[in-house]
Amino acid sequence: MLSLSVNGQSHSVDVPDDMPLLWVLRDVIGLTGTKFGCGIAQCGACTVHLDGQPVRSCVLPVGAIGNRAVTTIEAIGNTPSGQKIQQAWLDVDVVQCGYCQSGQIMSAAALLQRTPNPSDADIDAAMSGNICRCGTYVRIRAAIKQAATGKQEILQTLVSAPEGTAP
Amino acid sequence: MKRLLVIVIIVVLLGVGAYVYLNRADTSDGTAPALAGAPASAEVLARGEYLTKAADCTACHTVPGSHKPFAGGVAFKLPFGTIYSSNITADEANGIGSWSDDDFVRALRQGVRKDGQHLYPAFPYTSYTQLSRSDALAIKAYLFSLPKISQPNKTNDLSFPYNQRWAMGFWNAAFFKSERFQPDPAQSPQWNSGKYVAIALEHCGECHTPRNLGFGLEHGNALAGEELQGWRAYNITSDKVHGIGAWSDSDLISYLATGHADGRGTAAGPMAEAVENSLRFLNPSDTAALVTYLRSVPARAGKDPITIDAQAAPALASNNAAPGGDSVDTNHAGLKLFEGACASCHQWNGKGQQTPYASLLGTRGVNDVRGTNVTQILLHGSNLHAEGPSIFMPEFGDAYSNTEIAALANYVIAHFGNKQGTVTPDDVAARRKQF
Repeated sequence: MLSLSVNGQSHSVDVPDDMPLLWVLRDVIGLTGTKFGCGIAQCGACTVHLDGQPVRSCVLPVGAIGNRAVTTIEAIGNTPSGQKIQQAWLDVDVVQCGYCQSGQIMSAAALLQRTPNPSDADIDAAMSGNICRCGTYVRIRAAIKQAATGKQEILQTLVSAPEGTAP
Repeated sequence: MKRLLVIVIIVVLLGVGAYVYLNRADTSDGTAPALAGAPASAEVLARGEYLTKAADCTACHTVPGSHKPFAGGVAFKLPFGTIYSSNITADEANGIGSWSDDDFVRALRQGVRKDGQHLYPAFPYTSYTQLSRSDALAIKAYLFSLPKISQPNKTNDLSFPYNQRWAMGFWNAAFFKSERFQPDPAQSPQWNSGKYVAIALEHCGECHTPRNLGFGLEHGNALAGEELQGWRAYNITSDKVHGIGAWSDSDLISYLATGHADGRGTAAGPMAEAVENSLRFLNPSDTAALVTYLRSVPARAGKDPITIDAQAAPALASNNAAPGGDSVDTNHAGLKLFEGACASCHQWNGKGQQTPYASLLGTRGVNDVRGTNVTQILLHGSNLHAEGPSIFMPEFGDAYSNTEIAALANYVIAHFGNKQGTVTPDDVAARRKQF
């Protein structure tokens, strides 16, 4: 039995040490917000936080976690940077098909946490490992900047636009 | 005229005499020093299994993933053609089932097979000649206890004159000496056991000892490092800068038993196979003995010595998630590739993210300006199934061009080794052909 701290809750899981964390999260604990993409740490879809650091859960053996805290997309909105990122994501309407987006948000939230006002180069370095087949990269960059500065970077969507303004 | 004939006869006789003398076989049984993993009191099959693993027979005689243990067929691409390993199961038709004890012992210790033909020294009889008869026969007993597999041997694809087996007699005369392990009474029992493990069983020197022009081992330069099948087998002499002299005992033991030592490196390529198939099965006392022996190997710089910068400035100026400290004229293509494909596991500070096996700082690979093993690993990935979870890195050979692989290798060498890498797209193209 392993004891895991996920999103502030303690879970006892009966799994082999070498099972990747992603399997434990999705199939054992039932948190399916984190996605399986490539399985070889090349696409970023499975990104979660370990003590605030982004890690690829598809290649992280659960036995290597110890007592470090796991945070997933389900709870990232409870952190200040995660909250800002998620709001900007809605305002800019980043998401297209959405499959990669929980990973994108986890990487972006970690970036904002350590670099509150990231440059383009900072964003490249932090986000290059997260691949989006829909090509939402332009909106991802805008949303990260908007989350950092609070200033509107590109056209906002209807969802959160003030009432009465033209789309 | 008569005088000339006499001279010719004398020269021929001298030549034949030298050939016979240099090819003389040591027929003594030999005595092995005590091994913790194969005590004399143990049953012969248990000893045989341990010795078979310690001699790493499977690495060459089992095609990975074939589920046909010891049925042979592994290809060895050499500069002069391809050799295939043979079936050493007890199958009578294709394997060695009809071999007597003496046949087996002769093959192991003289490099001559049952039909009297010479074996090629890709089969390390040059090392196994040190084995005691009792150990050789324990290995035979173990092999004969396994299921017979009737897989025919593949024909070697060697060019002339290398396909002439009889010619190996001359190679043996020049480079091989049939002799049993001789314990050195001046050294500790542990050292003697370690030497036996290193030389007779694990045959470390077959990869790590430089070879001369005739492909013979340079015994005076033992374990100073060599390049084989496109991989660099590093200098493992006691040299503190270029060898393993600066490694702690626990570094060495950890590397041998698990394939990784923090801040030193992770086994990849053929060494990963050696750890996976052989070294990790050594009894801890035998591993410790091996370390004792390696520590005594005279320090040598070896060819193209590698000097490690374990505090590479660019990596130290980076944190786990963001780069720093790269020079202004940094190789941008390499950085971009690292950013997208590598950083999520290796991290910008080279400490390794999901597993310490992915750490790069302080390793010899990233400090080798020729990027030999880095290029290999980028092209072909890495697999290591040792204790604990399987460690693997995907291969990027099909994803990236030669130019990209070269840029990435040079970036890695600059960032984690603080050196100017010299990998060119042509080097990468050559590596692709080699494997």
